[in-house]
Amino acid sequence: MMNPLDLLALSIVCYLLASLVALLGNKKEIPVYCSGVIGAIGGVVGVISAAFALAGSTPLMTTLASPFYFAKLTINMDELAAFMVMVISLIMVASSVYSLQYIKEYQGKGDWGICFFLNLFVASMVVLVVVDNAFYFIVFFEMMSLASYFLVLVDQNQKSVKAGLQYFFIAHAGSVLIMISFFMLYRASGSLSFSSFSHLALPSWEASVIFLLAFFGFGAKAGMITLHGWLPQAHPAAPSHASALMSGVMVKIGIFGIIKVGLVFLGGTHAWWGYVVLAFGAISSVLGVMYALAEHDIKRLLAYHTVENVGIILMGVGIALIGTATGHPVFAALGLLGALYHLLNHAVFKGLLFLGAGSIIYRTHTKDMEKMGGLGKLMPYTAIAFLIGTMAISALPPLNGFVSEWFIYQSLFGMSRQGDLSMTIAGPIGVVMLAITGALACMCFVKVYGICFSGAPRTQKTSEAKEVGWPMVVSCGFLALLCIILGVGSPWISPVISHIATMTLSATPIIVASGAALHPVSTTQAILSTPVIAIALIVLILVPVVILMAFKGHRLHDRSLGDPWSCGYAYEPRMSISASGFTQPLRFMFAPIYRIRVLLDPSGWMSRLLNVVTQGATRIEPVFDGYLVRPCCRGALALSRWISRMQGGDLRIYGLYIVIVLVVLLFVPFELGVK
Amino acid sequence: MTQLHMPDVNWIILAVVQALLMLLFVPLATGFSRVLRARMHSRRGPGLLQDYRDIVKLLRRQSVAPANAGMIFRIMPWVLIVTMLLVAMALPTLTQTSPFPISGDVITDIYLLAIFRFFFALAGIDSNSMFSGLGGARELTLGVLVEPIFVLSIFIMALVVGSTDLGYISQGMLTEIWQHPVTVILAGIACAFAVFVEMGKLPFDAAEAEQELQEGPVTEYSGSGLAMVKLGLGLKQLVVAQLFLAIFIPWGKAATLGLPALILAAVVLLIKLVVVFFLAGLVENSMARVRFLNTSRLTWSAFSFAGLALAFYIVGL
Repeated sequence: MMNPLDLLALSIVCYLLASLVALLGNKKEIPVYCSGVIGAIGGVVGVISAAFALAGSTPLMTTLASPFYFAKLTINMDELAAFMVMVISLIMVASSVYSLQYIKEYQGKGDWGICFFLNLFVASMVVLVVVDNAFYFIVFFEMMSLASYFLVLVDQNQKSVKAGLQYFFIAHAGSVLIMISFFMLYRASGSLSFSSFSHLALPSWEASVIFLLAFFGFGAKAGMITLHGWLPQAHPAAPSHASALMSGVMVKIGIFGIIKVGLVFLGGTHAWWGYVVLAFGAISSVLGVMYALAEHDIKRLLAYHTVENVGIILMGVGIALIGTATGHPVFAALGLLGALYHLLNHAVFKGLLFLGAGSIIYRTHTKDMEKMGGLGKLMPYTAIAFLIGTMAISALPPLNGFVSEWFIYQSLFGMSRQGDLSMTIAGPIGVVMLAITGALACMCFVKVYGICFSGAPRTQKTSEAKEVGWPMVVSCGFLALLCIILGVGSPWISPVISHIATMTLSATPIIVASGAALHPVSTTQAILSTPVIAIALIVLILVPVVILMAFKGHRLHDRSLGDPWSCGYAYEPRMSISASGFTQPLRFMFAPIYRIRVLLDPSGWMSRLLNVVTQGATRIEPVFDGYLVRPCCRGALALSRWISRMQGGDLRIYGLYIVIVLVVLLFVPFELGVK
Repeated sequence: MTQLHMPDVNWIILAVVQALLMLLFVPLATGFSRVLRARMHSRRGPGLLQDYRDIVKLLRRQSVAPANAGMIFRIMPWVLIVTMLLVAMALPTLTQTSPFPISGDVITDIYLLAIFRFFFALAGIDSNSMFSGLGGARELTLGVLVEPIFVLSIFIMALVVGSTDLGYISQGMLTEIWQHPVTVILAGIACAFAVFVEMGKLPFDAAEAEQELQEGPVTEYSGSGLAMVKLGLGLKQLVVAQLFLAIFIPWGKAATLGLPALILAAVVLLIKLVVVFFLAGLVENSMARVRFLNTSRLTWSAFSFAGLALAFYIVGL
């Protein structure tokens, strides 16, 4: 068995190599292709490394030479870091393979640049999660933000430049907050290394300030509501396989940071932190999906769903914080288990959906869902993979999204049962929010799949679409398969993730699986067995088969013929439901929620703030002029006018001046000279 | 409470038999609703067994789909029946505990119902007809409005009993109702409302509308496909009604797995179901239809019942 750290280094070398190779690819195809292949190899090596790290029990730590005396370059691949490496690498494999064909869309339009920045972006994320020093963390965090900023700019049109700018600002506002919180920790510990940050005896207010700074800083990266404005702009602007990485993986770095600061460094000492995180999570999940519903740009819609899923993950993290602070390690561990599981699941199905959306765009050259339709028959493999993704994200059993949400439900249940008043109130509210989110997500993805893949093509261009090539189909298929494995295999995967969760919390291990069944620790509280559900669903197909066989009679084969019924009028293809028509009732009923979107978008009030500042500046400028500059000028003028009176032009007066000066000089030097 | 585990063979057989029996009695239940409606309209109407005749006749007919309809349109009836059978297996209807607790977790059940809704609505869009697409949108909108009520009322019951397993909730209710009477009653009212909607009854179902609103996603189905959809929809009515009965009216069930006890429990269950369908039919046929866009007002008031139930649970009543 190779050392996971060596493998990790190898995978990072692969990414760097891939980005260097891509640099050669200006106007050439082969280097870009090679770059994709090397990137995929890097991903596979990363997965293996993370798997070994999770399987082994020895702590993986090493210190490398650092050029800076104040910051040691320590690599610490603990369970959480290995888990994050796994998530990043899995999506990277799919994205790299996908890019082999997809990148042709950008041929001559900066394809080499995309490969260069994409590999750099992934490399910096991988290093970021394993590095154990605040200085290097921030360096790589910035590198990640910058690399992804260039990915957003790829299209080079006004929209993407604007999106990039907004992204750039919010990312940096976030990293400033993170830096401040790290500096406060540094002040207390006297060292920049992460290991010195934990177990600090901080005063309560200081710990809270550090937590809130880090929460909002990382929250901006995670795209939680109120700080999400950049996300639906930036993610759709990037190429689809880059969006998959940004939406599936990069936002998780924000979650990783919140877990790291809140639970690992500060030890989750205050329950109210947990309530804050839970509240932000719940609101993000409901509003995220609500806004997604109103979209008909497929990539923007998916980006809003990232806001939703980040909210669900944050709910789990919030529960973990509450449980840790109040001394309930069991539901805390369950909450974190749900959060981490959902983090992985979301990366997989959101990656799949973005790649699927990319396949559609690759063929139809539009992001507008109103122009799609009927792709289920034209692109059957993509359609099936996409359907699995939509079912997974809608949390339908036995797929993966359901399992992680089930754990979060169960941890909310565990929390509500503790008898503490605030927990008894917060738990059911969380459940209701999660239920609304589930129902809305279900509606939203029926819309996405239905409008894009079902029925008849809405435009001529769409009707000419055909199935994409094998790299794109294979990578979508790979992620779809992962959705099924992570769902049906949950009794065997959950213990691994629960181990990560309890190690992160430094709590006693919990037992969540027995045989093929899952329990939320308590074996009387609930039982879930996704493999049995999957088998039961398959076996029960026999029932309709038997019914159809028994009453076959002289029935003819099923037939597809003719137009849908249209009240006796001639049918037109336009007579099918549109994306905006589909959600009209809901938008009517929840109109106030759509109205507050304007209020919650920071770009609106930020630009208003900027206007106020510039207006104020223009107003203050004349004040300075009026009271400071102008009086000075006026005084100087008056003085000089007064002085100029001396210059009368009369020779006699000048003579007088000379006499006066001579007389004065006669006395003054005498005084000085004699002494 | 003993710990939840994989069911053994006897229980699985009971679960399958109970699910199949439910499927067998679907046309009877829907036929009963039709008879009731006819009586309330002062019509003679069809006989009690008319739906059996309809379904058998339809099953022998060819299924014709619109030319543009795809795979989803074809598999939807299958999905309906299969998911509802799985929920039906888990219901503690005759026995005090769930015969198949694997799918008997209330959260799992709610998401199994979501599969039903997902495919039902998706098939509506897939059939490419304006009416069925609209029907799908309405089905999902109702889902969004009703699901929070359904989940909250059931979750409160789970909290009262201390387990999210349907069987244990049902069993625990026998004793716990006296601990939290007000909570249980309020949650029951909210849940009854949600179940009424989930049963696809008026005014929340536009099935009887004029030409602008046909039977939602069912519009384009025909022949054997239509028969299967009808079975699936009917099965859902039976399942959600029994879900309600299992949680809120758990009395009169078999304590052991003996045949006499089971038969007695079946008789009690039949009576309960007749009452439920009678009441649902009564409400359905005596209500005027409201504009669809106004349903949210009604559901908010039902949600407030669930919210009140939560408040009383916190107070401890």
